Amino acid sequence: MKEMKTIIKKELKRFFTDYRILFSLFLPGVLIFIMYSIMGSFMSKAMDPKITEFNVAIVNEPEEFKSFLKVEGWEVKINEKDYEKQEAIELIKNKELDLYIAYDENFYMNMESYEVGSGEPPKVEIYYNSSAESSAIIYSYYTECLDEFESTISNKFDINPNINENYNQVEDKDMTVQILSYVMPLLLTTFLFTGSLGICSESIAGEKERGTIATLLITPTKRSHIVLGKIISLGITSMASSIVSFIGLILSLPKLTGTSFDFSSYGVGTIFSMLGIIVVTVLLFTTLLTIISTISKSVKEATSYSTPLMILIILIGFSNFMSSGAVANHFLYLIPFYNIIQSLIGIFSLSLSTLDLLLCIFSNIFYIAIGVFTLTKMFNNEKIIFNK
Amino acid sequence: MEVLLEVKDLKKTFKLTKRQQKLNCSKEKYKVAVNGLSFNAYKGEIYGLLGPNGAGKTTTLRIISTLIKSDEGDAYINGISVKNNPGEVRKMIGFLTSELKLEDFFTPNYLFDYFATLHKMTKEEIEKRKTELFERFGIEKFKEVKICDLSTGMKQKVSIVISIIHNPDIIIFDEPTNGLDVITAKTVTDFLFELKKEGKTVILSTHIFSLVEKLCDRVGIIIEGRMIKDDLLSNLTKDKSLEDVFFEIYKQEVGE
Ligand SMILES: Nc1ncnc2c1ncn2[C@@H]1O[C@H](COP(=O)(O)OP(=O)(O)O)[C@@H](O)[C@H]1O
Ligand SMILES: [Mg+2]
Repeated sequence: MKEMKTIIKKELKRFFTDYRILFSLFLPGVLIFIMYSIMGSFMSKAMDPKITEFNVAIVNEPEEFKSFLKVEGWEVKINEKDYEKQEAIELIKNKELDLYIAYDENFYMNMESYEVGSGEPPKVEIYYNSSAESSAIIYSYYTECLDEFESTISNKFDINPNINENYNQVEDKDMTVQILSYVMPLLLTTFLFTGSLGICSESIAGEKERGTIATLLITPTKRSHIVLGKIISLGITSMASSIVSFIGLILSLPKLTGTSFDFSSYGVGTIFSMLGIIVVTVLLFTTLLTIISTISKSVKEATSYSTPLMILIILIGFSNFMSSGAVANHFLYLIPFYNIIQSLIGIFSLSLSTLDLLLCIFSNIFYIAIGVFTLTKMFNNEKIIFNK
Repeated sequence: MEVLLEVKDLKKTFKLTKRQQKLNCSKEKYKVAVNGLSFNAYKGEIYGLLGPNGAGKTTTLRIISTLIKSDEGDAYINGISVKNNPGEVRKMIGFLTSELKLEDFFTPNYLFDYFATLHKMTKEEIEKRKTELFERFGIEKFKEVKICDLSTGMKQKVSIVISIIHNPDIIIFDEPTNGLDVITAKTVTDFLFELKKEGKTVILSTHIFSLVEKLCDRVGIIIEGRMIKDDLLSNLTKDKSLEDVFFEIYKQEVGE
């Protein structure tokens, strides 16, 4: 045990104090952030100059509220025509109308005479489409105005009170959830893989090339401890590298896409599930890449042998772009790689069951164990270790 | 005399890859590198393995050092089988060859602690041994310099120190001066003479006759994987030079 810790400490010291390695580990994350941010700011400048025009339809608007929509610098076009609700919703879906506001009849009068706790308060319903930026902007502005007003008169009316009514006309409910569940599993696994690729390919094949592996093998340290020490230190380092890349991506995402992401739907459970998946994924990749590195005669060979694995993982990531949501069949959560992508889709779309999460994590631990066992066997096999 | 290393009927055959077949200019699929090799090395003696390139010296020494496994036969150190109990054997041997390298990135001080810990030495043992060895080889001043920034001579000294860190019962040298410049090579030969003075047990493979003549108590001549002669140096040479004796034997064996 002590020997394993010694090996881990030494490897980590190497990874985290060698400037060249540090550079290769953490530069990608920083670059991703800088590049995407710059790209994003260029794109937003080129594509949409600040939105100042809005298309609104209002039914039964109280005189007293007319000032809400008179905003300095904004041009709010108020449609005179009295739309039917259904007609307006259609227009909002098609993004021809930004906002449809329907007050109850005699809204202001009823509100003034309303006693809190006695029957239904008067209400206002506001329809919008969060996937249209102009709609999202004016919706949040208008509800803010109403909220502010409402708080001064102690809650005498309701905004969008009907929980069964869908006020947001975006095609699916939560856009953040949807976008993330489409793109993130692929991006995350790719980052986790590339984060491990460099150092893992280098690990054993590099030691073979430099002739340092035999110096280690001549010590009485157990082969399994050497293998575990290598895997764990590589895993920790890969994880640090991929997480930096991932954070770089997350931070630059709003700038790149021009929409702000609302992560509030994701709770603590999500974070822990995600952490679990990330840990097993990194360890699985690390184990596989180290096996490849061990088979290889040189770092170059190891890198080229690892490319097909990378392509495979990207393909599996893409194959799920078409389907919506995670699969339900439990057995599918036992298939290597596929289960990782599916679980991530499930996590991001908030639809992963605990059973499937556990199936995924434990099956991966099982695969990692097989990998470590195989590696130990390989370390005992002179044909593999001394095949320079 | 106490036998420290007993080598018994070692046999090792390598399966050749296509590339190796081409390099050897032969269509043979297998290469018998060591072919039923036996010898004993005694406590406090220096044993020299002499033989032409490709005779099987490195293969033999690698089997003894537990880096590779023999197909047949076994070697015993203090009676412990290399094949069945390599972990125990590793505690008793030191192995030095130009093929075993140290990681460039670390300092002698760090590597010393690292390998000493892997040899399960305690903190006090490590500090005591470090002071002793660093002083003896003049590493003290350079102990915080990375291996890659050391001179070749100093690098070699650190390699020696690491290989004897656990004070092994027997030290195995495989062509230790191969590829070294004369001054660095001298570091190694000096060390060998010191070991002789201290009465250590050493196995040394080389093809430098003069070194064997000056150093070794016992000599084994290996040709094509077989032990042709295994005797005390004095019995072998009598009044002739080792070089002459070797080539006589070689001619008889290979016939040229
Ligand atoms: N890993 C290997 N694969 C194939 N052939 C090998 C391997 N190691 C050694 N040999 C062959 O075995 C023979 C003996 O090699 P070696 O023990 O290195 O000889 P020496 O050290 O005496 O020069 C040589 O012909 C060499 O080519
Ligand atoms: Mg050799």
